[in-house]
Amino acid sequence: MMQMIEKNSPHLRRPTASVVRMMSDVAIALTPLVAFAIYQHGLTAVWILLAAVLSMLGTEYIYYQIQDYKNKEKFKLCNKSFTIYNFTIIVSGLIYGLIIPDATPIIVVIIGGVFGVFFAKLVFGGMGQNIFNIAAFARVFIALAFGGAVAVSNYLPQVDGVAGATVLGDWVISPFAQNDNFSLMQMFTGIGLPGTIGETSVLLILVGGIYLFLRKSFDVFVPLTYIATMFILAFAVMLRQDLGLWYPLTHVLAGGVMFGAVFMATDPITIPVTRPGRIYFAFGVGVLTFVIRLFGNLPEGVVFAILIMNMFVPAIDYAKWSKNHFTLKSSLIFAGVIIVTILSVVVGANYVG
Amino acid sequence: MISKARKVLDIRELATELPHIRYVDPEFVYINLTTERAKKYSLNVKKGDKVYLGQIIGERDGGFFKQPIYSTVSGEVTDITTKRHLEFVVIRNDYQDTYCETIVDRSDAMIDAMSKADMIDIIKNKSLVGLGGSAFPSYIKVNTDKEIETVVINAVECEPYLSSDYRLVKDQPEQIFKGLKYLMRVLNAKRGMIAVKKTKKELVEVLEREVQRFNKDSDISIAKLADYYPQGWEIEMFKNALGIKIPSGVLPMEYGVIAFNVSTCASVYDAVKHNLPITKRYLTVNGDAINFPQSIRVRVGTNVRDLIKLCDGYKEGIEKINVILGGPMMGEAVGTDDVVVTPTTTSVLVFKDVDYHEETCVRCASCVLSCPVDIQPVQIMNAVKRNDKKSVEYLAAKKCIECGLCAYVCTSKIHVTDYVRKGKQLIG
Repeated sequence: MMQMIEKNSPHLRRPTASVVRMMSDVAIALTPLVAFAIYQHGLTAVWILLAAVLSMLGTEYIYYQIQDYKNKEKFKLCNKSFTIYNFTIIVSGLIYGLIIPDATPIIVVIIGGVFGVFFAKLVFGGMGQNIFNIAAFARVFIALAFGGAVAVSNYLPQVDGVAGATVLGDWVISPFAQNDNFSLMQMFTGIGLPGTIGETSVLLILVGGIYLFLRKSFDVFVPLTYIATMFILAFAVMLRQDLGLWYPLTHVLAGGVMFGAVFMATDPITIPVTRPGRIYFAFGVGVLTFVIRLFGNLPEGVVFAILIMNMFVPAIDYAKWSKNHFTLKSSLIFAGVIIVTILSVVVGANYVG
Repeated sequence: MISKARKVLDIRELATELPHIRYVDPEFVYINLTTERAKKYSLNVKKGDKVYLGQIIGERDGGFFKQPIYSTVSGEVTDITTKRHLEFVVIRNDYQDTYCETIVDRSDAMIDAMSKADMIDIIKNKSLVGLGGSAFPSYIKVNTDKEIETVVINAVECEPYLSSDYRLVKDQPEQIFKGLKYLMRVLNAKRGMIAVKKTKKELVEVLEREVQRFNKDSDISIAKLADYYPQGWEIEMFKNALGIKIPSGVLPMEYGVIAFNVSTCASVYDAVKHNLPITKRYLTVNGDAINFPQSIRVRVGTNVRDLIKLCDGYKEGIEKINVILGGPMMGEAVGTDDVVVTPTTTSVLVFKDVDYHEETCVRCASCVLSCPVDIQPVQIMNAVKRNDKKSVEYLAAKKCIECGLCAYVCTSKIHVTDYVRKGKQLIG
């Protein structure tokens, strides 16, 4: 017998709209980086990535099973709350694994994964509720808790014997020194570059980014604004300090900016929902990254910048002023903020080093 | 997928390509005594009475307006029934189509001699309403005291799956132009415009051919608009056809423009020239659960069951279906096929019922990017969930036109539109 349903409009749904499609697209965009990491670092990369993904997956699995047990529900091998079904946890795990330096002990990776997924995701209520980017949170946790252990190995060409001797590591000591060890081309392809296992190849990150853009699985304005902000600030400093074009280019190509821009700052759950809000957010991440790099004691600031801006998302999205279009007032304020930022960075650069 | 939705999934080739069929003689015709706007009525015929086509059989009372009820067929009154909260008088068709003696054509000289008030009287007495779906009495709309410069006829039909306006423009372009001229006379408007999608090449062709004949003594033009949803929303149409941006909550008349649906325009012609109320209309039967999608010329008052039988019925082996009156984006799933074609019914769509698996919101903001009135549905949804009236107010939920795009694009298949509706109720 045919049944006729009473429903509210609309009765159509976009066929291409699905969480699985979006998250699996991110996983697909990450695969070249995974392959490159394994090519570059061999088994080390395999173990790190496995540890990262499985620690997150396992924590979530155990958490929901305990929750079921507490709620006196019958034991099920597969719980409906697992986010493995829509790839989110795998994507988080892969991103987390790819931003870990190759000499990090596996046990540290696992501890970071467990802490990250528990404190950044599960205690907030699981998928869609988290305030902080899970991978960034886990990465910062191990960097702060196991500072010495999270390091770049020595087998790759290194400078001054400092652990973590990337281009950016050098800049902590002498901020405007040109590094001759790595050409810009090398930084672009990432071959033979020390650093985290997955962030080094800008080329492959761009390939992933273009794939995500073509599939419309991320908001392309976020990476564009982020990278543009970094470039413009570095360019302003370059003009003031009389450096070459290598300076802004190195800022954009080196370290985790590209990776963070394409894969971490675009995580839709932890960024604002309006187009201008996303641009403010990406601008903020760019400014913070640059400020941490230039003035801070750390060689790299991408994950910190993302986490700090994650905290401002509710403020950007506050109902009273969030709009999906730039008003005259908001554009003027934003333009003012941009000018003030550039000026203070340029002036501040005089007192560095 | 995080992107603005411009186009909505649309399958209307079959219904537009095939010639329409006529189904104007059902055995029983149901005339609605009440409508969504008018809940009270008086009836001046009783069971067994003989009625003629175009005869006044009663009067609806909608509070601020009254409109006569017309019989759309000649025959015998057999019953008064209720279907889906609306009351109907049932007339058995005698297949004679005997016109009531008041239904006589007016000559062109008579029409030319008519004053503005005479024409408004005709529109009022023939109980013409907005046929785009609003069912708002047209005479109130044309009786505006604002100065109108441009009359725009809305032939955009942006809702997917629909083809009734398409048929009308293609088959009766002359009536539309004449109706537009009458409307321009009533409103003292200098300019007339017919808005149509530029992707509907056949319609553009037909209209451009006809406009040569009619724009000699008056300024009538065709506006070719881009094909996206909701292009047919009048505010969006004015913006693209005339470049006039009308803020929400303001009547277009304040800006010297007024819009009529193309079916309303044709009905104005019928009323003025032939003194006829709305007796027939084009209707689309479409959807993925119907065997033979088709455009049909039907008599107002036909039971939808007859039409579905005419379209070879429902497809076999489907357990749950949605029967929708109106478009798939804004129409109403009525939950039964025992409904009646009223003057404002543009289509009957039958879809396989799909139970979408709802996931948690991933804040992808596709709804925000797609919203035609520039509000943030996802934030309204979150505010409604925590019963936060102030936030719903700040987020301007009352601007919502319920076009359904937010639920259409939702990555997590959440029924966002429903939450926004609740938000609108919350702030009253």
